[in-house]
Amino acid sequence: MKKRKNFISVLVIAGMMLTALSAVAGEIRIGITMRMVSENGQKYGQMMMDEIDMINKAGGINGNQIKATLMNDECKSDKGVANANKMIFQNKVHLVVGSSCSSVTLPIVDVTAKAEVPQIVPHSTNSKITQKGSEWVFRVPVSGRFYGGVNAKYTGENIGTRIAYICAADAASQGDCEKMQGQMKAQFGADPVYVAQVQEKEVDFRTHMQKIKSANVNGVMIAALAETMARALVQSYEAGIGPEVRRIGSSSASNSPVPAIAGDAAKGVFFAAAYSHSDKRPIARMFNEMTRTRYGIHAPDHDFSQAYDLIRIVEIALRNADLELTNSSLKQDRIAIRDAIAGVRNYQGLASGPISFCSDPSPVCRDGNRTAVLIAYTKGGEEYELEVLARVTMPMDFGL
Amino acid sequence: MIGFFTGVEAFFTGLSRIHRLLPWILAYILLLPLPFLLKFGISEYYVDLANRACLFILLSVGLNIVKGFCGQVTVGHIGLYAIGAVTSALLAINYQLPFWVSAPIAILITGLAGIIVGLPSVRLEGAYLALATLGLGESVRIMIAVTPAFGSSTGIMMIPEPKIGEFIFNSFESYYYLVMTCAIIGIYLSFAILRSSTGRAFQAIREDAIAASVAGINVPFYKLLAFVISALYAGLAGALFAHMPPGYLHHNNFTIIEMVTLLLMVVLGGIGNIWGGVIGAILVTVIYDQTKDYYFYQPLIFGIIMVVMVVFMPHGIGGVVKQAMIKRKFIENQEESRGSA
Repeated sequence: MKKRKNFISVLVIAGMMLTALSAVAGEIRIGITMRMVSENGQKYGQMMMDEIDMINKAGGINGNQIKATLMNDECKSDKGVANANKMIFQNKVHLVVGSSCSSVTLPIVDVTAKAEVPQIVPHSTNSKITQKGSEWVFRVPVSGRFYGGVNAKYTGENIGTRIAYICAADAASQGDCEKMQGQMKAQFGADPVYVAQVQEKEVDFRTHMQKIKSANVNGVMIAALAETMARALVQSYEAGIGPEVRRIGSSSASNSPVPAIAGDAAKGVFFAAAYSHSDKRPIARMFNEMTRTRYGIHAPDHDFSQAYDLIRIVEIALRNADLELTNSSLKQDRIAIRDAIAGVRNYQGLASGPISFCSDPSPVCRDGNRTAVLIAYTKGGEEYELEVLARVTMPMDFGL
Repeated sequence: MIGFFTGVEAFFTGLSRIHRLLPWILAYILLLPLPFLLKFGISEYYVDLANRACLFILLSVGLNIVKGFCGQVTVGHIGLYAIGAVTSALLAINYQLPFWVSAPIAILITGLAGIIVGLPSVRLEGAYLALATLGLGESVRIMIAVTPAFGSSTGIMMIPEPKIGEFIFNSFESYYYLVMTCAIIGIYLSFAILRSSTGRAFQAIREDAIAASVAGINVPFYKLLAFVISALYAGLAGALFAHMPPGYLHHNNFTIIEMVTLLLMVVLGGIGNIWGGVIGAILVTVIYDQTKDYYFYQPLIFGIIMVVMVVFMPHGIGGVVKQAMIKRKFIENQEESRGSA
């Protein structure tokens, strides 16, 4: 019995050591940390893993296989940092992908900068991520600084300047809210008519909606995560705010739970996003069909498209990078991958405009996607429909 | 295994007879080379894991004082942890105070907050007290989430690492010596409290508050004291967490899920058992880390562990080990008495 227990202890320690030493030469290691707590979150992660698997099945990158590790950070910074540390120091990854949430990506930027590991961001929009000046970080999604400008321009020119704001406490929504207010002031000299700060998972907006109704506004911006936004939209109609008052969504309005939960209340809501499933380009049609077949998605949102674009950009960069992939070349390989990502120019994928990076560690170079598409829901529910109102490519230094 | 524990206990008891601090100094010395063993034996990452385990040890040992020693059901400990973290971070950023000043102030402020969290315990018990403390703990998190000065949604960034002169605690190894030292001191003080008259008063209240009151113990005072001492531990853990690289805090670090995880550490190790709290903190940290790849099943794994522990091992791992050691001693004594007869 004693021998058996000792044997088990030895096995456990050996297992831990094997895991630690499992970094194999000749493979490209990618660590992905994402918010895997929602149904869609899991599918974004799964799609990235599937795409990497397909690259491997097609022969890999210049003959080298990619070994990807997917971890859940639950949208919590301490868990995201722990994941990044594990990927970097134990799994010895060449590239970190993450995270979905700005509040997790922000501290990971410091971790990757210190460890000198390239990081590419799939979903986080908070403008501060690239403003930290790390030479190791690249962002695929449209930065919040661009969204604010697009939303404000359309709103001021087509709807009016009397706008009320409901801003949820998550980092992305706060960023979207602040940028929109700042741009309304900068472009039209308009101050907010009403501002409400609410919880990330707030359920009751009725008091705010009554106040907004009596304030005689032209529009209401609801900046919140998908489920919260859907509840706010429904309650805005329950409070008697008619469809003549336009609802403006933050970038997460693109997520499918918004029309699914809000139903008819989603109709007319417009928002700036990186992708619309009503895009008629062949690549977009193929992508829509792929997500429908593989993951049962009626219409993929921009977080799906951004995850897909990210993998394609990583694929291009890895093919262009001069990699040795030995245990002793890890540092050089990481530098080569960073430089290869910085060398990606005019990538034309699912995003509404080209994505380009460059080597300067400033937002101008590292916020690769500057094209936002302005979209409105024409039908809510599970089988929702969208229409594209406008496509706007912003100047590189906009909002800085 | 029990023989090993009994041997270790006998060895350390022997040392403590020479000087009460001797076993602790020896334990400290034994733990000094750990980062290098981990770094060169397994991976540098495990030093980071050890740092996090030390933080959780401080939290669970602190929680054990109010919950295990004094028998007060609190679910607001994570709120106190948040207060310690945010206070130290803000003092360091806004007033450029060094960690060695900001952390003690944060600990004191968290101690004061402990009085507020503990006040309901004077009138409430059991589930009602749990609900009241839960509300207070969650209120702290919400307040942080909606107050821009406390970091709000983007969190508090660029919290400076502790430093002494030119030496900065900015690596896993250097930070280990800081958190490990605090954890050892925290465990030692916990034992000291347990063996003092204060500790006996706590235990008397846990067993029967009315009987304790009749025996002359100022029950409300000692209940509050338990909350304050527990809060001091949480404040220290919070300050250490805030200044740990990369120096970032967000209100999502202090949710009810974190509180449940903390409770799991105490329940797994054994409520009222100091070493149990330590074992629980280490086990939960390691299990969580080793099951990262199975994120789908993680909540299920922890849920099952908690249910199994409550049903089959209500005194936790620490309780089981303690029982086995008592049993072994009893058998040895019996054999000795038979031999001498």
